[in-house]
Amino acid sequence: MVLVLALGDLHIPHRAADLPPKFKSMLVPGKIQHVICTGNLCVKEVHDYLKTVCPDLHIALGEYDEETRYPETKTLTIGQFKLGVGHGHQVIPWGDLDSLAMLQRQLDVDILVTGHTHQFTAYKHEAGVVINPGSATGSYSSINYDVNPSFVLMDIDGLRVVVYVYELIDGEVKVDKIDFKKTTASST
Amino acid sequence: MSISPVPMEATMPETASCSEGPRRFGYLRGVQWRIDLGILPSSPSSSIDDLRLVAANSRRRYAALRRQLLIDPQVLKNGSCSPDVVMDNPLSQNPDSMWGRFFRNAELERMVDQDLTRLYPEHGSYFQTPGCQGMLRRILLLWCLRHPVYGYRQGMHELLAPLLYVLHIDLELLSEVRKVYEDHFTDIIDGFSFHENDWTHKFDFKKLPEYMEDCNGSESPVKINSLGELEPKIQTIVLLSDAYGTEGELGVVLSEKFLEHDAHCMFDALMNGTGGAVAMAEFFSPSPFGGSHTMFPPIIESSAALYHLLSIIDSSLHSHLVELGVEPQYFALRWLRVLFGREFALEDLLVIWDEIFAYENTKFNKPGTNDAESNVGVLNSSRGALIAAFAVSMILQLRSSLLATENATSCLQRLLNFPVDVDLLKLLAKAKSLQALAVEAINSTPLLILPRLHGRRNAGFTKAHIPSLDLTSPRTTLNMAHESYWEERWRVLHMEEERKQGSAASAEKQVPNRKKGWSERVRLRLSRTKCDPFRSKATFRKKNETDEGRKNIGGDVDFGHKIPAEVEEQDVKDTNFSTSETRCSSGCPGNEENSSNISDLSTPVRGTNDYVNMSGRSSVASNFSAEENDTDSVNFEPLQANPESSPLPVSELDPDDDTLNSTQNYHSVIKQAAGIKERKLLSDKFQLFWKFGRNINEGTSDRAAVSEDAIACDSGSDCNNVAGSSIVNGCNSTSGISKAEIIDQNLIFSLSDLGQSMLENIQVIESVFQQDPDQMGSLENCKNAIVGEGHITAMAALEELRKISNLLSEM
Repeated sequence: MVLVLALGDLHIPHRAADLPPKFKSMLVPGKIQHVICTGNLCVKEVHDYLKTVCPDLHIALGEYDEETRYPETKTLTIGQFKLGVGHGHQVIPWGDLDSLAMLQRQLDVDILVTGHTHQFTAYKHEAGVVINPGSATGSYSSINYDVNPSFVLMDIDGLRVVVYVYELIDGEVKVDKIDFKKTTASST
Repeated sequence: MSISPVPMEATMPETASCSEGPRRFGYLRGVQWRIDLGILPSSPSSSIDDLRLVAANSRRRYAALRRQLLIDPQVLKNGSCSPDVVMDNPLSQNPDSMWGRFFRNAELERMVDQDLTRLYPEHGSYFQTPGCQGMLRRILLLWCLRHPVYGYRQGMHELLAPLLYVLHIDLELLSEVRKVYEDHFTDIIDGFSFHENDWTHKFDFKKLPEYMEDCNGSESPVKINSLGELEPKIQTIVLLSDAYGTEGELGVVLSEKFLEHDAHCMFDALMNGTGGAVAMAEFFSPSPFGGSHTMFPPIIESSAALYHLLSIIDSSLHSHLVELGVEPQYFALRWLRVLFGREFALEDLLVIWDEIFAYENTKFNKPGTNDAESNVGVLNSSRGALIAAFAVSMILQLRSSLLATENATSCLQRLLNFPVDVDLLKLLAKAKSLQALAVEAINSTPLLILPRLHGRRNAGFTKAHIPSLDLTSPRTTLNMAHESYWEERWRVLHMEEERKQGSAASAEKQVPNRKKGWSERVRLRLSRTKCDPFRSKATFRKKNETDEGRKNIGGDVDFGHKIPAEVEEQDVKDTNFSTSETRCSSGCPGNEENSSNISDLSTPVRGTNDYVNMSGRSSVASNFSAEENDTDSVNFEPLQANPESSPLPVSELDPDDDTLNSTQNYHSVIKQAAGIKERKLLSDKFQLFWKFGRNINEGTSDRAAVSEDAIACDSGSDCNNVAGSSIVNGCNSTSGISKAEIIDQNLIFSLSDLGQSMLENIQVIESVFQQDPDQMGSLENCKNAIVGEGHITAMAALEELRKISNLLSEM
């Protein structure tokens, strides 16, 4: 019953001022156990804010981050799942599933979380799941101007993960749910 | 007292002591308690089958409850057609969402766990096992979810633990019996024991010798052929645990599988009293009981009832405790909330609870009360009376050590650390003997008065003390809006005090002045009016001259001068009188003008030489308001001939015909008060004065109010308030200012005067008794031994201080 928040590409303060208020009201401390951030926060204040939501914070380095000491990729284990985080600007073509799958195999993780495209996607393939939480602030990207704010909440329970996608479309929060089941327990 | 005719298994007269006949399941506590608590049918004619039926039903209910309330979102994720994801996602703010409930439950669970980990560590082998903890947690969670009003409070787990324990013990007994009478726990279908009739079994040669050996080797090689041959007790046990009886497995009364269900039922019954009076949940509730007449939480009422009972039984101990300021709820809170669970070892506790549960819990109906409501709601049954009687017998047990201490803290220590090596049976016997008395007491507890007095003091004291005794766990989210009664009171009081502080600050200036004129002003006591005859002492006569002068000054009734606290301190000689006088004077808010009313009123009063210190007050007050730092002038001018000072409403003290009656009433009250200890006196007065103050607002005659005030002064209680109200009277009578305003002002002034007088007193004491650390203690002694003027002054000052502090604590 572990709740993991995945978000990224906020670009605060350069491209966006803050998270949408509706998102902020939902992110109350105490509910979420881990936060995974794909990068491009960009400033320390955002880091601090995310820390208040949950003290267990994992960040990957994005190209606009002002704190350069974040790692480029990071792996962690939650329950039965291995998760990997990376920003995604290093994976070319950006957002391509096959290339991301390569990264996933490289990191040897079940769930790979990357960003950079500012577009929510969730792919499932035989080796695992690739999730892109999009941009939590809805900031524009170099390839896309019209972006809906979105983030992802994963509910990891045993061998099963439920992915809740929260998108702000036309001022309303839309929630969607995707189920993934892992076939075998991970060997430690 | 009429009791509902529920047949107890053995006839138990309501007023009788405990001895009812042999308890039907005395050897099986779990079953017996279930009967006592009302879960299982209690009539002697109910058969085992009936018991099983009822047990089965209760278990079904619990199982349904559990399914319904213990949320597992996973389960719902898997099964159901998912409800709208927008509503039901984990971050949903929707309070109805499944996840919302899940998080709330998690919060509650966290609180419960905090307590459970610390439960009965000395019996940790049972209570700290994960299985047991899990059960306790679930039971508590479910109960709290069903009763969001109460939420989870620390102490509930201690009520639940023994219940679970006795059920567990029953099961152990069952397994022991099983071992001995193995045969008869095999399938008993149609009355046949299959071992006897099972041919195949007989021909199982391997088994047979073993069987024979078992029979021979067992401790009681009983060869029993049928159930009927068994001892009745064992027979019952067998039947209670027979899996094929009524309702099958669900009806097995002594069942391990349904331990949780049964424990929950017992807990629920204990908490809500099953229609009786003693509902433990009430002890956790901060709000007043149902139709209670008082405004206090049931635990406070019950504590007061305890003290009332104690006062009937042993008034010297009671008065000793009251005098020390040991409020009953300091220790009774813990005693009552966990039904003495923390005072005795678990084994002893079980014996105590045996007795307590043996008593009927139906409410007494006092004939003549409206709405069948009696005073102490929670303890209003035989069981409640026994609980009260037991608590009192515990207090009596410690009698000698309590009487020996002069210190509230050590008293409380004794009470809260009840000795372990106490003869329990003796205690119980005593409790039973007191039970009848308790029944009377509880039905006649003048709770309308009792908690109020206590309450006033409580308001000041208990809030300060409750944090140290705080057994309540933090509020659950479910109870967010649910404000604690004491929190509110504290806030109210705090605001009052802040106001007082603010005004006291201004009063402080006058303090240094007073010091000098003390010895001079010794005699400047304002004498009392004749309103307070029994107080008429010669000392006050002295003031007459000065008062005279004052009184001649006509003017408006604006005598609400702020009378400097110093005047109070001046009262070296006298005890209450002088102090009260000064108090009165200090109470007067600054009124510059003389009140014509005063002069009018004063004439009739002049009859005697007793004057209310009002005049003195007003004069002083006028000085005060002028804020001069001239001590001498302050001391004497107003007293002698102060053209500015308005004659105090001494005249107002002159009782009209109407007021005379009221004053006389107050006289009687005051007389009574005189016989009581000082503190009580003050508290009583205080209340009276407050009432008077309010009456003023309602348009009582000024005179009445004033006379009341005078009386108050006389009695030497909180004169400040009196002054305040009297001043108010004056003001009201003269100016067209709204009464409320003036009253407020006056009160504020009087409060500040209080503070001022306190400071002055302190300073005086400091100067006189420079090396005397324990001044309050010596006050009493010093009073009688008048050593010298300095001492006298100091004594008076001390007394003033004490009164003021009492006053303040009242407020």
